[in-house]
Amino acid sequence: MGLGKYIARRAIYMVPLIIGISIVAFLVMYAAGDPIQLATAGNPSITEAQRNALREYYGLNDPIPMQYVRWLDHFVHADFGKSLYGGRPVNEIISTLFWETIKLQLVSILLAFLISLPAGIYSALKQRSATDYTISSIAIFGISVPVFWLGIVLILVFSFQLGWLPSAGAHGAPYLWPVFGIRNETLDELVHLVLPATVLTLAGLAYNVRLLRAGMLDVLRQDYIMAARASGISERKILYKYALKNAITPLITLLGISIGYMIAGAPITETVFSWPGLGRAYVAATLRLDFPLIMGITMIITIMILVANLITDMAYAWIDPRISIE
Amino acid sequence: MIDMAQPLLEVKDLVKYFPVYSRGILMKKVVGQVHAVDHINFAINECETVGLVGESGCGKTTTGKLILYLERPTSGEVLFQGRDAIKTFSKGSGEEKMRLRRAMQMVFQNPYSSLDPRMTVFDIISEPFKIHKHVSSNEWKERVYKLLELVGLEPYHAERYPHEFSGGQRQRICIARALAVNPTFIIADEPVSSLDVSIRAQILNLIMDLQNKLGMSYLYISHDLSSVRQISQRVMVMYLGEIVESATTEKLFDRPVHPYTRALMSAVPIPDPKRKMNIILLPGEVPSPVNPPSGCRFHPRCQYATSKCSQEKPVLAQVDVDHYVSCHYYHKFI
Repeated sequence: MGLGKYIARRAIYMVPLIIGISIVAFLVMYAAGDPIQLATAGNPSITEAQRNALREYYGLNDPIPMQYVRWLDHFVHADFGKSLYGGRPVNEIISTLFWETIKLQLVSILLAFLISLPAGIYSALKQRSATDYTISSIAIFGISVPVFWLGIVLILVFSFQLGWLPSAGAHGAPYLWPVFGIRNETLDELVHLVLPATVLTLAGLAYNVRLLRAGMLDVLRQDYIMAARASGISERKILYKYALKNAITPLITLLGISIGYMIAGAPITETVFSWPGLGRAYVAATLRLDFPLIMGITMIITIMILVANLITDMAYAWIDPRISIE
Repeated sequence: MIDMAQPLLEVKDLVKYFPVYSRGILMKKVVGQVHAVDHINFAINECETVGLVGESGCGKTTTGKLILYLERPTSGEVLFQGRDAIKTFSKGSGEEKMRLRRAMQMVFQNPYSSLDPRMTVFDIISEPFKIHKHVSSNEWKERVYKLLELVGLEPYHAERYPHEFSGGQRQRICIARALAVNPTFIIADEPVSSLDVSIRAQILNLIMDLQNKLGMSYLYISHDLSSVRQISQRVMVMYLGEIVESATTEKLFDRPVHPYTRALMSAVPIPDPKRKMNIILLPGEVPSPVNPPSGCRFHPRCQYATSKCSQEKPVLAQVDVDHYVSCHYYHKFI
């Protein structure tokens, strides 16, 4: 089967999935409560008639199936509607926040992946050495410590006490953070990334290291490694060409999953660092029952995960000849 | 042995101890040693197949790996064509190492784990050409096809991946890979133990054919006595890291002397329903190689053992031409 045909078939399978997920999300959202009631609860002077007028205005009085069909009609035209708060188009909100989240997530995912390569290989080669235990301990620390705790501690130490790094936001503008006395937009952006990216990298690192270590230990025990040694291949080449190539498959899966969950990935970290990203916006939208924004972000996450799954499956077939995309 | 010719391979006083670590939380501590191979001596001549038999875990595979320096020996010597192989592998120049790697090869026990799943058969068999550069790249294809033919596979198999083959076919690929460097000596580590009986005979015949065609020498490691008998000219019996008996195949199978060898032989099925089999059952389990028994290592399971056996270590004594036994009371069993 051709690759194009394969992708087309997988894309067609995604359609019912996307519709199913949107229906479930829609129903759960409506079961959660009434956004108008929530928004006006603190206002004693508002009357029930005025509330009803608001509901009428936002189309919330129509039967739920009708509202869903209206939403779906907009969705297939790539329009997520307007936020209930402020009336900004959801498409616009998402596109401004999207890049900030992707930036933070990609940096953390790639850092975790790249750091885990030497760490995982070394742990496997020097199994049960002091270094192996140290790497494992750091990894387990990263998994066990909650991100909000670590985030707050880092802010307290590096921002509040030492004043080295900014504590919140993705940009300092109009006040740019001085990096060794230099004020520059790019440096300002990078310096804002340091703390949240550290927290997310530490949280993701452990899985990568443990997976690679286990994979390497398994592969290094195989007879084809012995056979390679017996044919006189250098240890270095055995390590990278034979062992790593075979041990890295689970890491590729993890990478695919992480990229899929990227958007949904870091609501807590984004909240702790006041990061202007989709994760924080998602939490805020859910708390305020901002229906169009909730649906918009949910659908973006769904599509990202489905596409990442497809790419992971294709990467698998490319890496491992035993797996075919048919 | 009144053989003045230099043997192809000589193993002298070879020892391998593996450290045993305590299960400490932070620091590891050596708490003992596995006596995997304990002071063994033997020689293999050109064009000869020597069988090495013994129970699982008695050190057979480790012996093979030590000869190829895939495991580092604790002490002892391996002489290949009169030259110190261990020294060459550990300290020799790149060129010397590669020459020795070309001379000695190994076929591993498990054909399912000895082929890289990501490489095609062509890549696997031509890999040695790439490393040793003893075949120019425009001849690779021809040579790979020739090797495939030699082991009874077809040229079109070259483009396939290992998972598309059966166990027997994989073992043939392993043999072809070992032959790619034109070795003179191959260590065959239980090459048929994971194969169906119907395929065993094919692989054994292939191994013997190659000896006739290419003048190969083998160390044939196995726990399957009937295949050892079929293929080897000489057989050594190993027990807990030591060689307890060594003789020509005929003598060993006709007149085994060591009580352990006799117990092993009695377990070989005889294809005659009328003949009553007299199986000698050994009491107990194989002792731990971490704490091998004192004196003769076989004494706790030997029905003839005396107090001498638990105190004094027997030496390998000659009982006949080409027949050596390590037992205090061998004269009782001749």
